[in-house]
Amino acid sequence: MIEIRNLSYKINGNVILEDINLALAEGEFAALIGPNGAGKSTLIKLILGFLPLQTGSIHIDGIPHLEWLKRNSIGYLPQYEEFNRHFPATVRDIVLMGLVGELPLGSRFKTSHRQRAIQALTFTGIAHLAGHQIGSLSGGELQRMFLARALVSDNKYLILDEPEASLDQPGVKSLFALLKDLNKAGKTILTISHDLNILSEYCSFLICLNRKLHCHTSAELVSAEIIHKTFGDTVRLIEKDY
Amino acid sequence: MYAFIYQAIIAAFLSSFSLALFSPLVTLRQVSYMGEALSHIAFAGIALALLLELNLQLTTLIFVIIVALAISWLSQRHKLQESNTITIFLSVSMALGITLISLKKGYSFDLESYLFGNVLMVSQSEIYHLIVLALLNIFFITFFYKELFYLSYNAEMAKFYRVPVGLVNTLFMILLAANIVITLRAAGIILVSAQLILPAVTSFNLVKRLDHSIISSALIAILAASGGFALSWWLDLPTGANIVLLEFVFYLISMLFKPLIKGA
Repeated sequence: MIEIRNLSYKINGNVILEDINLALAEGEFAALIGPNGAGKSTLIKLILGFLPLQTGSIHIDGIPHLEWLKRNSIGYLPQYEEFNRHFPATVRDIVLMGLVGELPLGSRFKTSHRQRAIQALTFTGIAHLAGHQIGSLSGGELQRMFLARALVSDNKYLILDEPEASLDQPGVKSLFALLKDLNKAGKTILTISHDLNILSEYCSFLICLNRKLHCHTSAELVSAEIIHKTFGDTVRLIEKDY
Repeated sequence: MYAFIYQAIIAAFLSSFSLALFSPLVTLRQVSYMGEALSHIAFAGIALALLLELNLQLTTLIFVIIVALAISWLSQRHKLQESNTITIFLSVSMALGITLISLKKGYSFDLESYLFGNVLMVSQSEIYHLIVLALLNIFFITFFYKELFYLSYNAEMAKFYRVPVGLVNTLFMILLAANIVITLRAAGIILVSAQLILPAVTSFNLVKRLDHSIISSALIAILAASGGFALSWWLDLPTGANIVLLEFVFYLISMLFKPLIKGA
């Protein structure tokens, strides 16, 4: 379980997150929604330890999150990852990065690690690109490579920051179907997304955030009223078919 | 006579080899300006050793390591742009070096051999230092290859995936400082940074993997050192400058082969 208590966060005096209390139970497929600047990415970065806590606490499985992260990993798909496109790495090399914490300092990857990397790439549908240079991949292929890295170490938690970025609509649908399979297999998932239709179809738990937490409830119970409260009055809900 | 020449050849080989091993990592981590800065910062270390009549190489080494770690610490602690911090330290160190040298009245210092390098000036004990340095480089890169690879790819994500980024980065900075100080007599303050960049950018035109790039950088550097030494012997030209010029020629040649090898 990921438990957040009385969490607030400011940047240069501006309140980004205010008194967040949230519990994410094991086995949930949760979505974090909110307008741009609502603090969604900040909340995720705080959970993952990229940003230091200012007030409040985060516990994972009952342990302070930074302690937990020293011994465990969370699968993480960033919205954008800065890297040199000319970096001499193959797709397999980057997926293996997800296993580096399991190996002692100075040791080498074994055949079993490489096989796990290929399995993760097979799961995300790009095993045929394993030996390709990362600079030769399209946006969608990169996204699948990073997802394979997030999955390779078989973590119990998976956090995704706008996974639909760089994907076309059928791609988004197949990605969420893939995530649903992982969730059914026992993985706890937290994803940031803007696609309310797809979230209501796949997610079991919706967290509406706009600096403060507006609701966290099962996806089916989110009403137009809550959506308006989270996103403001300008939002217009429409039905969408794929 | 021949022992003296052999010593100079070995010095040219070892210094070029050591710098080339570090070259791909320095280039990929985009800290090549750090190499240039540290070589200039070494000037203040040399001046301090001369003024206080201390062991020149050891004093310079300690001075450069302290400054390298200070740059790294200041940049992280105060969120300064690393390039700004480096520029401040580079200028202050050069000013300090010039002031300290001028305080040593009546001392004639062979500044030129430190600025441009002179393999003929390398002593027997400095050859031993170069051998130890080369072995340390090989050990460090082989042992920490996986960690260095991911640190060079993206330090923040490497830390997230539990690579001990702080430890590996500190060792990297210490060894980079050691490489610059120990190869300084052979490579020169002005030319050492070229030998930290050229072998890597040449190899990246020819190979697609980091381990292949490290090996090919070392081979390119040894080839340039052989050619550079031969040219300086026959034409009576400065060895360090010849090595850098040959490395640049190899870089230009590699540009011709790049489309064939990389299909770009």
